Amino acid sequence: MLEHYWSVTTSLLPFLWKGFLETFYVSLVAIVVGSLIGALIGVVRSQRIPLLTGLFGLYIHVLRGTPFLVQLYVFYFVLPNTGISWLSWDSRTAAFVALSVYTSSYVAEIIKAAIEAVPRGQSEAATALGMNRIQRLWYVVFPQALKLTVPPMSSVYVMIIKSTAILSVVGISELTRQGEVSILRYPRDILFIYGLIAFIYFLYCYPVLRFARWAERRVGMARTVDLD
Amino acid sequence: MTWLLDFYNYRIVAQYLDRFAEGLRNTLTAAGVSLVLSLVFGTIIALALLSKRDAFHRPAAAYVAFIRATPLLVQIYLVYYGFPALLPFAKSWNDMYFGIAALVLNSTPYIGEIIRAGIESVPGGQIEAAKAVGMNYGQRLRYIVLPQAFANTLPPLLGQTAVLIKDTSLLSIITVFEFTSAGILLNSERVKPNESFLTIALGYLLIYLAILLLSRGVKQWLAGPAWNAQA
Repeated sequence: MLEHYWSVTTSLLPFLWKGFLETFYVSLVAIVVGSLIGALIGVVRSQRIPLLTGLFGLYIHVLRGTPFLVQLYVFYFVLPNTGISWLSWDSRTAAFVALSVYTSSYVAEIIKAAIEAVPRGQSEAATALGMNRIQRLWYVVFPQALKLTVPPMSSVYVMIIKSTAILSVVGISELTRQGEVSILRYPRDILFIYGLIAFIYFLYCYPVLRFARWAERRVGMARTVDLD
Repeated sequence: MTWLLDFYNYRIVAQYLDRFAEGLRNTLTAAGVSLVLSLVFGTIIALALLSKRDAFHRPAAAYVAFIRATPLLVQIYLVYYGFPALLPFAKSWNDMYFGIAALVLNSTPYIGEIIRAGIESVPGGQIEAAKAVGMNYGQRLRYIVLPQAFANTLPPLLGQTAVLIKDTSLLSIITVFEFTSAGILLNSERVKPNESFLTIALGYLLIYLAILLLSRGVKQWLAGPAWNAQA
């Protein structure tokens, strides 16, 4: 019994490792690209620029109000169907773009909240010293806001890692997909293989979750599920 | 109007209206039943997390850590293939039952954490006062702690409800006929991705907006008349 599971594990480990590397890669791309887009949107939204704030607000609500699976289908089926040539991408590009865009909606709100959490007096004092808007943000607000973003950004990173599993439905060879392929080889061990996959995700996510909790105690910013 | 029909042929959507309605019904059923069960189990988990006894605290913490650190999709597969193999009574379940079981398993820790935070927000003096008038643990919980904790947990609970409704979309993968499945059905029969997936995206968005408005109303209501007069 135990020997059987051991042999299944050792024969599958190279495949699952390949899947894990893809999961790792996708999640890394999504957090980097998503943070860049999200930071831009968050900064603009925190500045209350009339038209842009509303427009980006709509962007965020659309992305947070629909399931990631549905968004993935839109990026995978609908956008290549529009007839615009550069949107007729392959499944891997669709998956990467979908996850990055999804990530950006969460990052934007974190950045906005962090900027607004810096006391107003800081910005006003900078104004009194004759700094312009860019200087105030860059030298006074950002450095103080940055540390506030660490705990919620870690939580978002875990959320991204978990969302990469959904990419298996459009055929991306990440961890879950590699597991499904492995099950074709060992159909009787389906439960064991899914358990193994869950364990690998756990090894990736749990340290990040611990870090988020540690950072939260240091920074003291609440991490609740809140709609606004 | 032809450009609109080319991009989004609402007549096809109208033909599938009853399928979309059926899917929506199943989505709301799955989310609603999961929410109620998660509230019950979440309260138990919250009490276990707050317990000073290791025998209660440790297993609850391990369960919460496992759920938070693994993807919902993998949890759904584990329930879908694991329950019939491990639990004799689950052999005759239909897909919907497995879906609800997976969602409850997944959302219980999140709701438990919300309830725990709510309980911790009740001032210690309240509990001491309840002890002073001779209430036992059950009475303190029933009459003092939970009613006050509930008010503090309502806004995050609504947020979690929105997450739960979005999560039901993954049940389409284990062939539960919910809202997303209706879109997939339209696309596989007519090969019309716009009509299929933009329709369900809009549907989810409307549900989300309804919860968002409700959440804002609840926050105003909880803030009380004095706060609202100022604003």
